[in-house]
Amino acid sequence: MNWQIALPEIVLALSGMAILLFGVLYRRDASVPCNMLTLGAFLVAAFLVLSTPDGSGYGDLFVVDAFSRFVKILILAGAALALMLSFDYNRHEGIARFEFPVLILFAVVGMMTMVSAANLMTLYLGLELQLISLYVVTAFNRTAIRSSEAALKYFVLGALASGLLLYGISLVYGFAGSTSFAALASALNAPGGASPGLVVGIVFVIAGLVFEVSAVPFHMWTPDVYEGAPTPVTVFIGTAPKVAGMALLLRTLSTPFGHLSLDWRLLIELVSLGSMILGALAAIGQTNFKRLMAYSAIGHMGYTLIGLAAGTEAGLRGALIYLVVYVFMNVGIFAGIIAMRRHGRVFEQISDLAGLARTDPALALAFAVFLFSMAGIPPLAGFFGKLYVFLAAVQAGMWTLAIIGVLTSVVGAYYYIRIVKVMFMDAPAPAIDQRPAMVSFVAAATGLFTVFFVLFSAPIVAAAQAAAQVLFG
Amino acid sequence: MLTAIAVFFPLLGAALAGLLGRPAGDRASQVVSILCMVIASAAGIAAAVLLGIGATEPGTIEITNWISAGTFRVSWALRNDTLSAVMVAMVSTVSMLIHVYSVGYMAHEDRPCWRFFSYISLFSFAMLMLVTADNILQLFFGWEGVGLMSYLLIGYWYYKPAANAAAIKAFVVNRVADLFFTVGIALLFFQFGTLSFSDIFAAVPSHAAHHYELFGASLPVLEVIGVLLFIGAMGKSAQLFLHTWLPDAMEGPTPISALIHAATMVTAGVFLVARMSPLMEYAPIALSVVAVIGGSTSFFAATIACAQDDIKKVIAYSTCSQLGYMFAAAGVGAFDISIFHLITHAFFKSLLFLGAGSVIHAMSGEQDMRRMGGLWNKIPITYSVMWVGFLALAGIPFFSGFYSKDAILDAALGTPGGVAFYAYITGVAAAFLTAFYSWRVLFMTFHGTSRAEPHVQEHVHESPAVMTVPLILLAVGSAIVGYSLDGTFIGLHWQSFWGASIVTLPGSNPFTHMESIHGVVKWIPTLVGLAGLATALLFYILVPWIPGWLATRFRPIHVFLVKKWYFDEIYDAIFVRGALALARLLWKVGDVAVIDGVPNGIATLTTDSSGEVVKLQTGSVAQYAFAMVLGVVILVAVFLLFR
Amino acid sequence: MPVGLGHYLAVSAILLVLGVFGIFLNRKNVIIILMSIELILLSVNLNLVAFSASLGDLVGQVFTMFVLTVAAAEAAIGLAIVVVYFRNRGSIEVEDVTMMKG
Repeated sequence: MNWQIALPEIVLALSGMAILLFGVLYRRDASVPCNMLTLGAFLVAAFLVLSTPDGSGYGDLFVVDAFSRFVKILILAGAALALMLSFDYNRHEGIARFEFPVLILFAVVGMMTMVSAANLMTLYLGLELQLISLYVVTAFNRTAIRSSEAALKYFVLGALASGLLLYGISLVYGFAGSTSFAALASALNAPGGASPGLVVGIVFVIAGLVFEVSAVPFHMWTPDVYEGAPTPVTVFIGTAPKVAGMALLLRTLSTPFGHLSLDWRLLIELVSLGSMILGALAAIGQTNFKRLMAYSAIGHMGYTLIGLAAGTEAGLRGALIYLVVYVFMNVGIFAGIIAMRRHGRVFEQISDLAGLARTDPALALAFAVFLFSMAGIPPLAGFFGKLYVFLAAVQAGMWTLAIIGVLTSVVGAYYYIRIVKVMFMDAPAPAIDQRPAMVSFVAAATGLFTVFFVLFSAPIVAAAQAAAQVLFG
Repeated sequence: MLTAIAVFFPLLGAALAGLLGRPAGDRASQVVSILCMVIASAAGIAAAVLLGIGATEPGTIEITNWISAGTFRVSWALRNDTLSAVMVAMVSTVSMLIHVYSVGYMAHEDRPCWRFFSYISLFSFAMLMLVTADNILQLFFGWEGVGLMSYLLIGYWYYKPAANAAAIKAFVVNRVADLFFTVGIALLFFQFGTLSFSDIFAAVPSHAAHHYELFGASLPVLEVIGVLLFIGAMGKSAQLFLHTWLPDAMEGPTPISALIHAATMVTAGVFLVARMSPLMEYAPIALSVVAVIGGSTSFFAATIACAQDDIKKVIAYSTCSQLGYMFAAAGVGAFDISIFHLITHAFFKSLLFLGAGSVIHAMSGEQDMRRMGGLWNKIPITYSVMWVGFLALAGIPFFSGFYSKDAILDAALGTPGGVAFYAYITGVAAAFLTAFYSWRVLFMTFHGTSRAEPHVQEHVHESPAVMTVPLILLAVGSAIVGYSLDGTFIGLHWQSFWGASIVTLPGSNPFTHMESIHGVVKWIPTLVGLAGLATALLFYILVPWIPGWLATRFRPIHVFLVKKWYFDEIYDAIFVRGALALARLLWKVGDVAVIDGVPNGIATLTTDSSGEVVKLQTGSVAQYAFAMVLGVVILVAVFLLFR
Repeated sequence: MPVGLGHYLAVSAILLVLGVFGIFLNRKNVIIILMSIELILLSVNLNLVAFSASLGDLVGQVFTMFVLTVAAAEAAIGLAIVVVYFRNRGSIEVEDVTMMKG
C-alpha cells in the first residue's frame, strides 16, 4: 500500500502527541520548548510535503498532487508565522501554556488532511479535527469573557455548519451512491443532470464549506471571533483555516462537482458579490482594529471566490495567488496589531494608533505597506492578487464581478487608508511599548514579501499555475 | 562646440546663481552669472563670426536622444547654421550687457536679488535653446521655457498685485496662441512623420499639393500649418489681437522689459517664421496673413504709442510696432531683412528700455512723463544715449534702424500685389508716427521745465558706471550695427551669408524688385521720419499748447488712443467675463452639483449603508444561526430556480 | 404499510429541522443548543444508515461510526466551552451572549 503519501500528516500527528507527552512530563514551564518543537515539526512537515511524490492511497481516501502541495506549504507557513507571533503575546497575557502549540499543530494536521481529501469522509474528519482544535484555542484565554464568548459563538455556529455539511454529504452519498470524489465525478457526468435531492445536498455541502472561509451569508461568526479570540489565535484563524477552507472549496467544486459547474457558479458568484460588498461596507464604521480585519477578511474571501466563480484555470490560479498574498499581508498587519501594547496593556482601537508615525516610524511604515497592499495599490503584493482574479473574471466574461470588485476595492481603500491617515496625520498618542524581536522579525519578513512580491512573483505564479492545472487536468 | 558653450553656460550660471544665492549672497550669484554670460557671449559671437566668414560649416551637434516611441523620434540637438548663430550671438551679447546693467539697477532692492540673476540666466538658456533647436519640439521646449521665465520675471515683484495680474495675463494670452502652435506641431508630425527641421524642409515640396478636407472646404496642408504656426508666433511676438499682454508686462523690472520684452523673447515669433521659411515659402496665403497682421500691428501700435504717458508703455507699444515691421518683411518674403531688423532693433530697443530704466532710476521710480522734464543736463549720459536710440528707432539715416527699416519698406513696395502695398502704406504711416512719439518722449522727458515733486528733483542723479557702460556699448551698437552688417545680411548677395538657413523661392526674391526703386520714392521713409520729428518739435517745444488743444478738439480720437483702441475692454467683456461666467456655471453646476455632489452622495450612501449593514450583526448566536439557515434556503432556491 | 427509504428520509429531515429551529428559536439556554446540534447529527446518521441499507453499501455505516465519534468529541468540547463561559459570565442564557456585536 502506498502509505507514504500521508507521511507529512503522520509525522506531524505523531510529533504532536510526542510534544504533548513531553509537555506533560517536563517539570518546568514547557511552553517555550514546545513552541520550538512545534516550529521544528512544521519545518520537517514542510520538507516532507515537498518530497512526497504524487499519488493516491488508503483506498482512494487520500491524494497528493501539486495542488495539495502548494496549499499545504502555504498552510504551514501561515501557521508557523502565527505561532511565532504568539510567543510574546501569550507570555504577556499569562496564557503561555504548552497545549497552545500542540492544538495549533493538530489544527494544521486537520487542514492538511482536508487539503488532501479525495473522499467526503476524509474531508469531514479533517474539517472536524481542525474546527475542534480551533474552538479550543479560541477559548484559550480562559479568564477573558470575550475569549469564551467568541469560542461559544464559534462552536455553536461551527457545529451548525458542520451539521449542514454532513446532512449535505449524506444526501450526496444517498443520491449519487458514493462518497469518493472520483466516483462522484463520473456519477455526476451522467446525462440527465442532478436530481433535486442531490442538488439540495450539494448546496448544503457548499454552505458548510463556505462557512469555513467566512463568506456571506455564513460570515456572521467572523467579526465576533476575530475580536474576542486572543490575537495570535485571530492571526491563525485568519490565515491557515481560510487557505484550507478555500482549497477544499476549490477542490470539491472542481473535482467531484466539476460537471455541474454551470449550476454552482451562480451560487459562488452571489456569495462572492455578497462578501465583497458586505466586507467593504461593514468595515467603514469599525473602531476596533481586529473587528475591522474580520470584515476585511470577508471582503478578501469575496475577491478570492471571484477566481472560483470564473470557473477557469486562470481563475483558480488567481485564487491561489490571492491566497498566498493574503496570508502574508494578513500576518503582517496582525504582527503590527500584536505590537499594539502600551504599559503592558493591549489596546485594539484604531484611534490608539494616532501619530504612530512619530512615536514608532518603522512600525507605522510597515502598517502603511500592509494597508496599502490590502487596498490593492501597485506595486505591492495585494495589487497583483487582485489583478489576477479580476483578469480571470474579465476573461471569463464576468464583468459584474470584476466591476463590483473594483468598486468595493475603492471603498476598501477608504477604510484602509483612513488608518494610515490616523497613524501619519493625527496628533500622537503616547508611545507604544518596545516591540518584541519576534514580532519585528515577522513584520519585516512579511513586509519585504509584500513590497518585493513584484520581483519574485514568477515562481509563485508558476506553482499556482501547476496547482490549478491539477484541478482542471 | 562653441554653440554648446554659448547655450549651456547660461544654464550653469542659472544653477550656480540659484544655489549660491542663499548661502553666498547676492554678490556671488551676480559675479558667477555674469561670468557665465560673458563666456557664453564670447562663444556665441565667435561661433557666428566663424560661420559668417566660412571657417566652419553649418551642422548640428547631437547631444542625446530625447523621445523614442515607435516611429516618433526626437533628439536633443543644437543646430548651428547662420540663422541660429546670428541669434545666439545677439541673444548672448544683449543678455550679458543686461546682466551687467541689472547689478546697478537692482542695487536699491530691499530684498536679496540672486533669484533675479538666476532667472535671467535661465531665461537666456531657454532663449538660446529656442534659437538653436534642431527640431520643432525642442524649439517648443525653449518657447515654453522663455514663456515660463517671462511669467516669473514679470511677476518678480510678487507682492505687487499689478505685477501678478500682468504675469498671469502674459501667460494666459500666450496659452491661447500656444494652443494653435501645438496643433500646428501636431499637424507637422501628422503630415511629415518627423519633427526634425531638416527632414521637414526636405519633404516640403512633395507635400505642396496636399489638402485637408474640412467641413466641405479644401485647405492646403502647408497653408494650414503655416497659419497655425504664425498664430503661435503672434502670441509670443505680441501682434495685433494677441498684443494686450506686452504693455502690461512692463510691470516687471526694467532690465526684464529690455531683455525679454524688447530684444529677445518677443522676437521668437519672427525667428520662428524665418526658421520655417522653407515651408512658409510654399504657403503664400499664410505669408499674406503674416504681412497683413504685421503691417496692421506696426501702424496700430504706433498710434497708441503717441497717446501714452508712461515712458515704458510708449516704448512697449513701439516694440509692438517694430515687431509688426519684422512680420511685414517676412510676409513679403524678405526673411533676411526681417532678421536684420530684429538684430538692429534688439540693440536700439534694449538701449531705449535701459535708458528709460536709467531715467526711472534717476526719478526715484517715477514712470509718468507728465511728471518729468528738464532732465537733459542732470543726466547727460542717459540723455545722449537716448538720442542715439531714438535716432535709430526713427530710421534717421546712418543709424542702424535706417538700414533695416528702409529695406523693409523698399521690399514691401517692390513686391507686387495688394498685400505688399498695404504693408508699405501702413509701414510709412507708422514711420511718421514712430518719429513723432520718439521725440515726444525725448522732449517730454528731458526738455522743458521739470514737473516733478521737489524732493524727487533734488534726488535726480546720473546712474552708476555699471549701468552707463552697458548703455554706451548698446548706443555704439545702435549706431553702427546697421551700417556694418548692411551689405552682409541683406542685399543681392544675401544668400552667400545666410546659406540654406533662409530659403526663398526663385521668383519671390524681393531684392530683384528693390533695385527698381529710385529717386524720391527711395527717400520717402526718411522724409516721413523727419516730418515726424518736426511735428514733435512743433507740438512739444515750439507751440506746446497744440497737444492739449488737439486732445480736447478731437476728444473721441484721443480717448480712443489713450484707451489703446479699447482692446482690453473688449477682451474683458467678451473673453474674461464670458470665461468667468462659464467657469462660474461649471463651478456651481458642474463642480458643486455633479463632480462634488455625486461622489459625496455616493460616499454618504456608502457610510449610511455601512451603518445599516453593521446593524445586522446583532451579536446574538440565534440570529447568526438564523442567517445561516436563511442563506442555505436562498442558495437552494437559487440553485433550483436558475439551473 | 412497509417502511421504505422515504420514511427514513422524512424522519431524518424532521429531526434536522427540529435541530435547526432549536438553535435559533431557543432563547433560553445554551445547553439546548448543544442538544439541538446532537439532534442534527442524529438526523445525519439516520440518513447515512438508511442510504447505506438502501444502496447495499457499507460506506454509509462506516461514516456513521466516524460521525458518532466526532459528535462525542464535539459535545465534550462544547460543554467545556460552556463551562468556561459560565465561569466568566455567571450565566448561560442565550440572550446574554451578545457582548460583541456591530
